[in-house]
Amino acid sequence: MNQQNFPVQVAPLESCREPGPEERSMLRKVLDRVGQYCQSRSLFVLHYCTGCGAIELPPSMTSRFDLERVGMQPMVTPRQADILLITGYLSVKTLKRVILTYEQMQSPKYVMGFGSCTINGGMYWNSYATVKRLGDYIPVDTYIAGCMPRPEAIQQGFLDLIERIDGGRAVAWKDYYRNYDRYLGHQQHLFGRDWLTPTDVVGEAAHYRLAGDGTLGPHTALLDQYAGYHQAWGVPREQYAELEASS
Amino acid sequence: MDFDWQHMLIELLVMPTLAFVVGLVMVLMARRLRARIERRVGPPFWQPLWDILKLYSKRTQVSHGHMHEISIIVLLGGMIAMEVFLPVPGFDTFAHHGDALTLIYLMMVPTLGMALGVSACANPNGSIGIARALTAMLAYDVPFIITVAGAAMLYGTTSLPEIIAIQQQQGLEGWGAVQMPLLALAALISMQAMLGKEPFEIYVAPAEIATGPMTEMSGKFLGSMFIMQCFQLYTVSVLYTTLFLGGGENWATFLIKIFVVVAIPMTLTNIFPRYKTEAVVAWLWKWPTAIALVGLFVVMMR
Repeated sequence: MNQQNFPVQVAPLESCREPGPEERSMLRKVLDRVGQYCQSRSLFVLHYCTGCGAIELPPSMTSRFDLERVGMQPMVTPRQADILLITGYLSVKTLKRVILTYEQMQSPKYVMGFGSCTINGGMYWNSYATVKRLGDYIPVDTYIAGCMPRPEAIQQGFLDLIERIDGGRAVAWKDYYRNYDRYLGHQQHLFGRDWLTPTDVVGEAAHYRLAGDGTLGPHTALLDQYAGYHQAWGVPREQYAELEASS
Repeated sequence: MDFDWQHMLIELLVMPTLAFVVGLVMVLMARRLRARIERRVGPPFWQPLWDILKLYSKRTQVSHGHMHEISIIVLLGGMIAMEVFLPVPGFDTFAHHGDALTLIYLMMVPTLGMALGVSACANPNGSIGIARALTAMLAYDVPFIITVAGAAMLYGTTSLPEIIAIQQQQGLEGWGAVQMPLLALAALISMQAMLGKEPFEIYVAPAEIATGPMTEMSGKFLGSMFIMQCFQLYTVSVLYTTLFLGGGENWATFLIKIFVVVAIPMTLTNIFPRYKTEAVVAWLWKWPTAIALVGLFVVMMR
């Protein structure tokens, strides 16, 4: 890990790793187990319903299948939500909003990709404006195949996710902190070199000791480079380029 | 009155805990009622507890500064202070020292605490939400205070344990709901608004302002909000039971009464849409206030 580039001082990698199960105290183990169980049994869902998959959610939520039986209920803001549902294709423009939303959610957080569109572009594979693989831009826990998946398949997907959370295996959110540079690289490829989100992911990774070898890299270096541009966002782009060139 | 420190300490610890546990079951009942009305099965028994534990076990927590954190303490502190002053069977040492007026004052503390925290968040949805919450408070407090004044006139005291004693001496005929039915009706309507349920659900309004004051709350902050909801349901139902339903002779009748009281707004909330803010104020200042004033007139004529 490159220590020089971190904005705040962090402990070396040795202490950043998750303590193994044998190193935790008995109380810690019990608390973690209770926490994991509650996380698996209480899931607040944020729907990102720009795709056609949204139409399959009302039957899953309402009286036919009733997802509240397994503790899932819809929530309306990213701050409160645990699961981000991407129901179908994402255009380049909507992907920006998804990333902003994802970064505002509080960990542990889970992403679910609905249908073929999030897996490989699906029927929009030839489109210039849609995103082919959602997993390149944000870490995805579960994909549900189908075009569209039926409510039964959606339920099965949720039950699988619940089982993995309960077993402590749904840890894709940690990958976003550990390999942020890779995800940011893909995002910059689409949105340009000056792409910046309000959430300081690198700072969060350092604060919660989730940083890994892939947190910093050439792409996060661009964040620092363009930070001044975003701070002086009133300055026109051409003028800023001149300023940058002169400095 | 002599001070029994040991007993007081036990009450200080036991009453908020009891309120929390009963409140959790009330939240469960509300969610189950909603599910049954929508012909669903509803959540499992432990769901409200799991929700709160999950929110407290979140790994990352976004704080919006010291004011945000202090506000949660103000909010929960106000609620806990209120629980202590409520007269419940077996625990009314503090209730003898406070009265209905103390409770009216304390009821404003959580909303004001929430306003402090939301202003620290600087979220437009939150600001609109808290402005609406304070407007709603202005609206429902008028019929509510008239109601409490009417009850105080009828019983000749504002002390809640004494009000309960008077009602229990006279039996069913002595109940506030029988003695002053108009005031009981007005209080029921303002209770609906106090709990922020449809048709007065202007400050949560998930589809419109994204749960208003709770927009920026995450993790432990939202968990504290959930705990506040438990306390709120308990407080309002106990206050209503005390003023109009003769309080609790023992824990069995007391629990039955407060759960019936909570079931009424929780059922109504599922069949109404939402008013606009100005319509809530106009409606609450018109109908429940008029009913309460007529009820007050009737009480004064006796």
